[in-house]
Amino acid sequence: MRKARGGACETVVNRFNMGRGRGRGRGRGRGSSGQFRPPSPYRLQLSPSRETLTYAQAQKIVEVDLDGRLHRINITDPLPVVTEDEMMAQDLSECNSNKENSGQTQSKARSWRKLPNVKGRRNGKSASHRADAQPPGAHGDSQQHSSAQVPLPEPVFRVLSSVCPSDAPPLPAAYYHYTERSSEEQEREAEYDMDEEDLAWLEMVNQKRVSDGHASVSPETFELLIDRLERESVAESRSQALSQSAIDEDAFCCVCLDDECLNSNVILFCDICNLAVHQECYGVPYVPEGQWLCRCCLQSPSRPMDCVLCPNRGGAFKQTSDGRWAHVACAIWIPEVCFANTVFLEPVEGIKNIPPARWKLTCYLCKQKGRGASIQCHKANCYRAFHVTCAQKAGLFMKIDPVRETGSNGTTFTVKKTAFCQHHSPLGPRHHGDGEAAAAEERLAGGRGSRGQRSYTQSPPSPGKKNAPKGQKKKGKKGSGRPGRRSALPVLLVPQIPSHRLNKICTGVVVQRKNQFMQRLHNYWLLKRQSKNGMPLIRRLHSHLQAHKTTELKEPDEKLCAAREELRYWQKLRQDLERARLLIELIRKRERLKREQMKVQQAVLELKLSPALVLLRSTLDQLQDKDSARIFSQPVNLAEVPDYPEFISQPMDLSTMRAKLEAHAYCSVADLERDFDLMVSNCLKYNSKDTMFHKAALQLREVGGAVLRHAHRQAQSIGLDPSSGLHLPDSHNKHGFNQCSWDDVDSILDPENRLHLTTEEQLKTLLDQLDVVNSMRSSGGRTKRVRLLRREINALRQRMNQQQLSAQVVNGNTKKDPKEEEPEEDREERVKVEVQKERKKGKKEIADSGPLTSASTPGTDGSPPVLELTGPVSSPLPGDAPLEPPVLGVAPGGRRSPGRSYKRQRSARSGGKGPGEDEAEVGETACPQPEAVHEVTPLGRAGPAPPPVPATPLAGVGRRTSILFKKAKNGARLPGKSKASPAEDRVNGLDGADAPSPAMPTFTPLPSFPSPHHLRSRGPSSDGEPEKPLPTHTQQEGLMNGLGKHEDAPSDLPNSQTFNGSPPKRSRGKPALAKVPDNENAVDLAGSGTTTHLSLDSGSALTPLDLVWAKCRGYPSYPAMIVDPGMPQEGVLHNGIPIPVPPVEVLKLCARREEEAGQKLFLVLFFDAKRTWQWLPRDKLMPMGLDDTVDKLRLMEGKKPSIRKSVHTAYDRAMAHLNHVRGNLNFTPSNFI
Amino acid sequence: RYLLICLSNFLGIENLPCELQRNFTLMRDLDNRTEEKKGEIDKLAEEYIANVVNLASVQRVEHLQKIQNAYSKCKEFSDDKVQLAMQTYEMVDKHIRRLDADLARFENELKGKLEVSGYESPEARGLKKADSRGLREKRVSRGRGRKKLKEKTPSDVLDMPVDPNEPTYCLCHQVSYGEMIGCDNPDCPIEWFHFACVDLATKPKGKWFCPRCTQDRKKK
Repeated sequence: MRKARGGACETVVNRFNMGRGRGRGRGRGRGSSGQFRPPSPYRLQLSPSRETLTYAQAQKIVEVDLDGRLHRINITDPLPVVTEDEMMAQDLSECNSNKENSGQTQSKARSWRKLPNVKGRRNGKSASHRADAQPPGAHGDSQQHSSAQVPLPEPVFRVLSSVCPSDAPPLPAAYYHYTERSSEEQEREAEYDMDEEDLAWLEMVNQKRVSDGHASVSPETFELLIDRLERESVAESRSQALSQSAIDEDAFCCVCLDDECLNSNVILFCDICNLAVHQECYGVPYVPEGQWLCRCCLQSPSRPMDCVLCPNRGGAFKQTSDGRWAHVACAIWIPEVCFANTVFLEPVEGIKNIPPARWKLTCYLCKQKGRGASIQCHKANCYRAFHVTCAQKAGLFMKIDPVRETGSNGTTFTVKKTAFCQHHSPLGPRHHGDGEAAAAEERLAGGRGSRGQRSYTQSPPSPGKKNAPKGQKKKGKKGSGRPGRRSALPVLLVPQIPSHRLNKICTGVVVQRKNQFMQRLHNYWLLKRQSKNGMPLIRRLHSHLQAHKTTELKEPDEKLCAAREELRYWQKLRQDLERARLLIELIRKRERLKREQMKVQQAVLELKLSPALVLLRSTLDQLQDKDSARIFSQPVNLAEVPDYPEFISQPMDLSTMRAKLEAHAYCSVADLERDFDLMVSNCLKYNSKDTMFHKAALQLREVGGAVLRHAHRQAQSIGLDPSSGLHLPDSHNKHGFNQCSWDDVDSILDPENRLHLTTEEQLKTLLDQLDVVNSMRSSGGRTKRVRLLRREINALRQRMNQQQLSAQVVNGNTKKDPKEEEPEEDREERVKVEVQKERKKGKKEIADSGPLTSASTPGTDGSPPVLELTGPVSSPLPGDAPLEPPVLGVAPGGRRSPGRSYKRQRSARSGGKGPGEDEAEVGETACPQPEAVHEVTPLGRAGPAPPPVPATPLAGVGRRTSILFKKAKNGARLPGKSKASPAEDRVNGLDGADAPSPAMPTFTPLPSFPSPHHLRSRGPSSDGEPEKPLPTHTQQEGLMNGLGKHEDAPSDLPNSQTFNGSPPKRSRGKPALAKVPDNENAVDLAGSGTTTHLSLDSGSALTPLDLVWAKCRGYPSYPAMIVDPGMPQEGVLHNGIPIPVPPVEVLKLCARREEEAGQKLFLVLFFDAKRTWQWLPRDKLMPMGLDDTVDKLRLMEGKKPSIRKSVHTAYDRAMAHLNHVRGNLNFTPSNFI
Repeated sequence: RYLLICLSNFLGIENLPCELQRNFTLMRDLDNRTEEKKGEIDKLAEEYIANVVNLASVQRVEHLQKIQNAYSKCKEFSDDKVQLAMQTYEMVDKHIRRLDADLARFENELKGKLEVSGYESPEARGLKKADSRGLREKRVSRGRGRKKLKEKTPSDVLDMPVDPNEPTYCLCHQVSYGEMIGCDNPDCPIEWFHFACVDLATKPKGKWFCPRCTQDRKKK
């Protein structure tokens, strides 16, 4: 505040004008102003021309308002200097009237000083003598008002020039650490710190004492004594204030009657009369430290005040400018009255301006005439008058609204005060109040009324008659206690310390002339306390006063005290325990972390000691992941496939690989790869191309290749020492295969650039590139190149296949790369050859050895060729594989075997040429590996035999058998294992055409072999001995499976060579079975024509999904595909190519057509644009794709060019389909996608 | 009567320091042994690296096996230590709970005394308040198994200074406060979660897994 004033001269003066009046200017106007100056109306002082001043001008001018007139003083004008005494009297009187309780006075006094300083400097004269310290509030009240005030005692003081404040010691660099001391500790030492004043006093006293010949008192002793005095006084005040409730929760301000208490506007309580007022309502901008007294307690504590404006006593008073008193509320409400300073709300001015009419009004509430000024009801035409305080007492409606007025000279804020008499209160009486709001208001008003009642008491008409206490509202004791207190000066606030206590205090201190010193000290202390408004000199005590008060209360109760001690002890214990718990929690966490660390350490060490092992292990894990069907995870179960060793000399599987890995048998990725390749090649070798195992192996080779290549690269980049399996010390050559750019890839993609390489090398580079590209960030370019690479790779593989095939052909089927699939034609040829051989040889194994050119055992090789002979049969099987998930596989080990069984089957077939023979073969195959059959079966139906041209005749049988096997699977498995070898024998036998009889005996005893029996029985039946097998077979089937029976029945019928239309129908109900009858029929048909030479007759073996030339009436032969009418409605995938599902209407047509035709009809799907369906008899169908010339003939069949063209396109479509289907055989599906 | 309570308190707690000491000694012992093992492992590893070229694969396997064994021993020790720590924690926790209960009773009694004696001092009021607060917080039950909800002790009763080393929990890495829930995954790295941080208002039924563990479990 002071700073602001010092900054700008003008504002300073203005403020003074507004505030308490006259500063420097008074010197000039002293004479005129005389003793009694009328108050300057608040804020009227602005000079009209003020706005016209420029800033620079304004800086040079000091405006002073004297008696309502504005004076401007140029700062360069010389001003007369007024003597100190003259000034002081006036200034102080001014000061006094505005005095706030606390330091405010002081600050004001200082600001007073400031102005003269400025002036003085400007005038080149020193006015600093005015700044001489005048103890604030110590002046006599020189006001001339008549109020009878006790003349204040004149303080006597002198200025000590010898005292100079010593410098504080430098702060230590370290941080302060605060620890709360226990009360005992605090007891022991003195908390009080001397200030300069104390030092000065002590020095003085000591001087005196020394001069008197006594020892001086040390500052420590002084501090200790002061400390004790403080404590004593605190204890005293505590005991005094014991009954006094510190804060009245439901206190309300007696100016506005509101109990709202904000942080910025708290309710203050007078420390003597307990008056409660808002800071703002009473003009106390800052809450003073220490005690606070209301004006009347401060200035005339002993006498009750009478308000000049109303007859009521009590409440918040302020002095008027003429020294009388008035209620703040009255001053607010009476229009003519205002406050000279709106911040401090004092003094009340303008009482003189109240018109006499107002004085004469009679309050309708108190009915007193001529006492105070009243206000009137705001309602027009209502002349009721009431005193403000009476109205408050009565709870009348009184409202103050801030109003914003926009007038000619800007927006001004004023307040609009409205007060109504009881009758005109806007809320009205409750009965015609509208709604709750009114009621609520009413309540509020009522509340206020009661408050008002509590706030005021009527002053007696004749003063002195009644001595009503003001604060009757508060507790009764207060009222009684007040008068006595009131008589005392505020000094009383510093508790008196009885002398016996004083004696007690100083017992511990050794001071000469103790009593005298103590007396002095005590007085000094009292004065000091008073000068600080009774604030305790030790803050802590003050702040803890409240708490201490409460704790002290219970001291008398010893028992409780003890209990509390106890409780405290346990709480402490509890704290300790809590700490312990925290600690242990931390320990637990630490141990857990340690454990984790241990694990990590182990991993690290492992990585350090055997990085190769870790790499290989992870590679193997990846490989194992790729083998999702878990075909390769376990060694081949020799119990299931006893002949496996005959074909495979070095069995390998993932578990063995793992074992070897853990035994450190692998030093590098290459070792692992070798075994991996061995495993895959074994599988490829042993299983025919059509089995799911074969396909799985191919796929695994594909995916595993990538994994291994990756591992290779990794091994290279991290630099492993193959001999130790450790990291090479310094090899950190990063093989940046990632650096290769699109250009590299593109150049590789160009076949021209690879011409110098062999196909294998090309394949390798392409694969590498593919890996690289795959590892790149995905982008349009990447996907495109991946596709291109895939295509290239596929093409390359195809070429390699072809090469191998041709080579094999040249070699007479002898050479066969186990990894590469043989083209089926080739195989067939070979198979034929082998079949011949087999026939010649009594033992199958020998026959097998012939065909087997590869490293694998002769036996295994023998079977594949056989299979190839029956090429058509084999194709359905692979088709099946995709459809039939491996889940169906009965035993992991057994999975490979089915493939084998098929092969064998085929070989048998190849031996026998008639349908009967086929059946027999089927039976055999079924016997050895029922599970395998089971797996295949579902597919058999769906994926017929598109691929091999030559094998057509027997294909149907194969499928059929597979179905049967499926039925038999459960029972058949075990026997199959046990009888594997007999089955082979049987196959041989079949080849030799005497199979049925050996087979029969073996199977019949086993109840679980129904289907095999059945099949075999069929075989025999074709040979002319159907009777025997049939019965056993059917019985067993019946046991096994209801479905099986159905099947058996139809199959039996065909066996007996009778033509039967019913079986197909029956079977159709069950999709799985449906095929069989059809095939049988087909076979039968073919058989009817030429029973003996079905194999050569392509027409005889039409199976679903075969491609045919279909001849409709009026049309040339048209490419079409045979579709199984019983296929599942959800559709079927043939090698990944979806086969359309025949619509229901088409299926319905079947029966009728068959009736019309009188024979079995095939459902065909034309390869025309619309993919139309047709039921056609067998003789209208010609196998397609077997013979180029036939196909060409058919193509030329059309008479019109347009028709020929459509046939051509259909043929192309059919070929495309065929390629797709076959393509899938050769490559993993991923290549196509 | 408080004397009785105090006595009952005392009997339990008297032994606590001894038990704690015993457990900690055990843990230190284990720690020492682990360290020894680690040294052993280091030696073995060095040996292995030095000789690996000359070793046959079988020997290598043996050597590595030795290291592995040492590690598994170490792990055993670690597990024991963790177990021990948990046990200790439970022990202290148990004591704390009992003490809390006793304290509550004690305070109640004291309060009763005060009321009887005629006037209720502010402190008694404060006590009551603290008491009710404590009770409120203690209301949380200890579920079966790990599914216990951890409640922080009524620390306002204790006015404990904040321990800078206090372990942090939850996704938010804050100290524990209010009701907490434990993840039912025994290997959960965080273990305890504030209700608010995992969007819980009440104790969930059945097992509860923290967001991270839920994710991990989904992956598996």
